[in-house]
Amino acid sequence: MTAVELMTASDRDLLRRYHEEGDATAREVLVERHLPLVRSLARRYAGRGESLDDIEQVGAIGLLKAIDRYEMSREVALTTYATPNVVGEIKRHFRDKGWAIRVPRALQELNGKMGPTIERLTSKLGRSPSIAEIAAEFKTTTEQVLEALEAGSAYAPLSLSAGPTGDEELDPMETIGTDDAGFERTDNRASLEPALESLPEREREILRMRFEDGLTQTQIAERIGISQMHVSRLIRRSLERMRSQLT
Amino acid sequence: MPVADRIELTTPIGPAWEAVIRMVLGGIADRLDLGFDQLDDLQLAVERLLAEGDPQNPVTLSFEVSPGGVRARVGPLRDTALADALQGPEPPPGELTLPRILSTVVDSYGVEEVSDDHLVVRLEKLVRNQ
Repeated sequence: MTAVELMTASDRDLLRRYHEEGDATAREVLVERHLPLVRSLARRYAGRGESLDDIEQVGAIGLLKAIDRYEMSREVALTTYATPNVVGEIKRHFRDKGWAIRVPRALQELNGKMGPTIERLTSKLGRSPSIAEIAAEFKTTTEQVLEALEAGSAYAPLSLSAGPTGDEELDPMETIGTDDAGFERTDNRASLEPALESLPEREREILRMRFEDGLTQTQIAERIGISQMHVSRLIRRSLERMRSQLT
Repeated sequence: MPVADRIELTTPIGPAWEAVIRMVLGGIADRLDLGFDQLDDLQLAVERLLAEGDPQNPVTLSFEVSPGGVRARVGPLRDTALADALQGPEPPPGELTLPRILSTVVDSYGVEEVSDDHLVVRLEKLVRNQ
């Protein structure tokens, strides 16, 4: 199928190509086609202490799950099937953060503004801002900034010291490449290399840029078009996943 | 380095206590006027070492804070075999190892103490001229 044919093919044709023939390009076209739906749904959850960019990325995971789990025997449009998946993913994201229970609303809001403000200050100063500079921007105390940053750290889905977890919460992006799972810890006890292939391509690339090419989180964020705080979270999550697989 | 202020924290290892450790690191970074990215680096370095700790036993983090930067000691860690890797040569490019991660996010690291069942690692993060 040519690129033009792929772009004009129906959702159902693309789903069939992906599920029955393993056509990854068909999956990509489906994702691109339905990202506006994700954005629309994500906007409903904006203003709750989380940046829209982050909510959209969480929603995109729900879209990927919907595409991957879609059963061809279903006589339902992908949009209909994907909507509860996307919303569910976003709700789970907020629930996992436990905002409503543990974090005061003012802190939630401060956390939500933190990423864009840090990016703006980084651009303005030509370096990463200090905690005091961030606090000055918000006209608040450095302790409040640290608490707000810590509130955002609760996002990390895997604990640093947690062992391997069940797969039921893993999103499709996280499970790409897991065919190689089951490797053993190498003689080099410090090496995470055997688990690298189990990560999605984007996470592998982020780790390469950070630890091989020596790029800063800010530079990586600019290259792949996400926030620096999101890069930080992805690096942590990737390293934790790799570590847990090797223990 | 000039005379340093000392902070010491002994804590269980586990999710419930990670926030406490991060807040301590945040407070130190604030007092040193470290950039947000430097704080994130320092937290990542400590987190990677804590991942090598023994969940059944507490870990002690001690910090020497001076105007030039912070020197941290983290231990005891469980996997003493890591000492060889941390004392060995720089890992080859393209291989993701704990030494490579540490060398990216802190200015220096090393093994402070090592025995059959005991490993303490030193980390150093310097104040960057801005």
